[in-house]
Amino acid sequence: MNRKFLVFVSLLSVLLVLMSGTVVVAQGETFMGKTAEELFPGAADETERANAMAALLEANLPDATGQFAGQTLTLAVQQAGARGGISGPYYFWREAFQAATGATLEIVEIPQAQYFTTTSTDFLTGQNSYDVMNIGAWFLADYVVNGWIQPLDPFFEQEGFPVWDREAVFPSLANLMKWEGQWYGALNDGDAQMLYYRKDILTDPDWQAAFKEETGMDMPVPPKTWQQLLAVTKFFNGKDWNEDGDPDDGISLHLRTGGQGMFHFMSLSAPFAITPAEGDDIGKITKYDNVYWFDPDDLTPLINQPGHVAALEFLKELAATGSTAQFGWELAEAWNNFLNGNAVATFSWGDVGSLAQDPSRSTIQGKLGGARIPCSEKWYDREAGVFVEDSANPNCVGNTTGGSWYPVMSAFTDTPGLAYYLMAMQAAKPINFFNVYYGWTGVDPGATYDLFPPIGTASVDDYVAAGYNADDALEYITGYGENFFSHPIYQTYLRIPGTETMWTILDTRLGQAMIDELTPQEALDLVAQEWDQVNNDLGREEQLRVYQAGIGYVP
Amino acid sequence: MYKKSRARYFFLLPGVFWILTFTLFPLIFSLYLSFTNANMRNFTRATWNFVGFENYASIGSDLRVGETVVTSVYLTVGSLLVTLILGTFMAWLFNHDIPGLRIFRSILTMPLFAAPIALGFMGLILFNETSGSINSIIRGLGGTGVRWMTDSWSARTAVLILDAWQWTPFVFVIILAAMQSIPEELYEAARLDTGSGWAVFRSITFPLIAPALGTVALLRLVETFKILDIPFSMLGGGPGSATQTYSYYVYLTGLRSFNMGYASSLAYILVIIAIIISTIYFWRVRARFE
Repeated sequence: MNRKFLVFVSLLSVLLVLMSGTVVVAQGETFMGKTAEELFPGAADETERANAMAALLEANLPDATGQFAGQTLTLAVQQAGARGGISGPYYFWREAFQAATGATLEIVEIPQAQYFTTTSTDFLTGQNSYDVMNIGAWFLADYVVNGWIQPLDPFFEQEGFPVWDREAVFPSLANLMKWEGQWYGALNDGDAQMLYYRKDILTDPDWQAAFKEETGMDMPVPPKTWQQLLAVTKFFNGKDWNEDGDPDDGISLHLRTGGQGMFHFMSLSAPFAITPAEGDDIGKITKYDNVYWFDPDDLTPLINQPGHVAALEFLKELAATGSTAQFGWELAEAWNNFLNGNAVATFSWGDVGSLAQDPSRSTIQGKLGGARIPCSEKWYDREAGVFVEDSANPNCVGNTTGGSWYPVMSAFTDTPGLAYYLMAMQAAKPINFFNVYYGWTGVDPGATYDLFPPIGTASVDDYVAAGYNADDALEYITGYGENFFSHPIYQTYLRIPGTETMWTILDTRLGQAMIDELTPQEALDLVAQEWDQVNNDLGREEQLRVYQAGIGYVP
Repeated sequence: MYKKSRARYFFLLPGVFWILTFTLFPLIFSLYLSFTNANMRNFTRATWNFVGFENYASIGSDLRVGETVVTSVYLTVGSLLVTLILGTFMAWLFNHDIPGLRIFRSILTMPLFAAPIALGFMGLILFNETSGSINSIIRGLGGTGVRWMTDSWSARTAVLILDAWQWTPFVFVIILAAMQSIPEELYEAARLDTGSGWAVFRSITFPLIAPALGTVALLRLVETFKILDIPFSMLGGGPGSATQTYSYYVYLTGLRSFNMGYASSLAYILVIIAIIISTIYFWRVRARFE
């Protein structure tokens, strides 16, 4: 009895020490002689500061003051401020970086719409102002082909840098950070679009009965196809389902020109336009299968093919189940509309899942449903030249839309070691994981340790410790993981010089179609015509070679 | 005497250097670029070849040019008319003895000092369809909100309103100065013949402020045709491409797509239009005064 009691007390003590670990760290520990208060002046509260300190100590950053003291590193990042998405984490960890290296980190914020132009012009004019640039994955081809950035591989085996786990990066995202087998980017933000919906509303028996009565269908929870989602958003649009006295929205999208709305179209249109290959290897890239952007034999744009056009017609139908103001919304406005409880569904990046846990931005904590991006019951078989309709076996295509914002190193930096230190530090598991579970950072899951078993090693408790509702964490992280790992095939990513221009063209023409200035067919025909022109201007043969290499097509 | 002459040239040097470096060189270099296929995106892969008038020939078949010209013409004509009419009316109003005239005049000129890019962001707030104050006022008066951000012509009109708001004071200041330079004796003599204020304005004021109006119209014409900052910051050129002006398209082609050859040819067309307009204007002015 006595021994049992002693064992019990010992176990309880161990448990208490473990549970209070973060507090002990925050109160007593220092890093390079600095306290948590000194290192994280921008923390929102003591819990966030304590968790950051714990992550910093766990990252086990090597003391690099002997190597880098007195040096200055200039980082270019999208403009969002010290607590804004993507730029925020660099500010948040700046003091720690400076303490570890003795160097100074200068952060230059550039508006996202100007980011490519500003950084490219900087290189073209030989100013080379930035040592590290946090870029969108679709910039990579331009940067590599022009020789503006350098591979990171030479640093991987060197001592004295923070350690990050490249094996843990989702394979589809890792491919976007590499070019011809070499790593150019380090892990930061992992992007893919998934479906979010109001689980509390869709599982409400009264709403389920009303839905059945009106549509004759059972409420799909979660909606597994775009067609099911449309039925749901159409049903809820205009009804006061949140009981605030005003009619509410079905869907919430951001469709303003220049507001990244073209990404929605990419994710939505993939299962309308991409077909799996026949045989055992359904992911194989052939002339007709698993291609989305161009014909891999001759670079003819596919964007105006019947599948893509049908998808745009569908997007218009879906957008009509939301506010007309959507056409003037940027990303944050569409998110806020969903987070404030005014829309029953949205599809977007991982940020929505984490922002839903922030009481200052969300009223829907504990009500969130999440699922992988829907499939389509109708798609175009380009080889056969016919549409296929099969609601029992829909066409499912995953995406890495957006493809993440990650840091790359200038080929002209005077401080390559210091640049890599910063990149590796942000990619180090404890720091990256911290950034992932705090939604304000804009950093979405990109490594298996962010996901739940069997794919990953995270637990719901990890997320609950950061303020998540347990059910929401389960919905969001499971859905996000399924997005990356459960689809039979995936949309290829466009990585050729001129991608940024092509996406700007797509964005503009989609905008014209959405406001009925052009029909979907007219809009996408113009996109095809203008993409052709871009390829011709940049050299068609070289563009074709880069495209084939980028998607893994062997003629 | 000789030394004095040398000193004169020495003091001219900075000005000459400035004009050669920052005016003539870019002008000539961009003219050269407009005859090449220069594309800075394939910087390391391609050479710049002379392509003759190919860029200029492409402009005719470029669909985007037609779209952007429609927007530019709408904004130019609309804004020109609004600013000239309002500015002249305000100048006429302030050409009378009004208490606190100087204070009102100072307040009225304040929009001139706003940066157009900031005005665009202000427009984003004012013209917001759901929470903007303009739609709130319209709804408060019993109307229905206008789709300022999501309807093509409403969006263009929103840009026009902002531009006119900023530049009406410019017209006001110039025309007021012109009105105040008209000798009072002319008005006194006219009043002996007629008591109609409109007749006095039509026969005395308008003809005498016409040269100033012409100059203002010319400046505004060229300036508004170049408009880029307000549509850029307020609407990103959208919805669709509704507020993409010709200058916006030159910017996108040159500094977003880095197609410098084609962008230079587009810009030169703008230069040619400006030269034609100002030549016609000065020819008319010279004819009038001769």
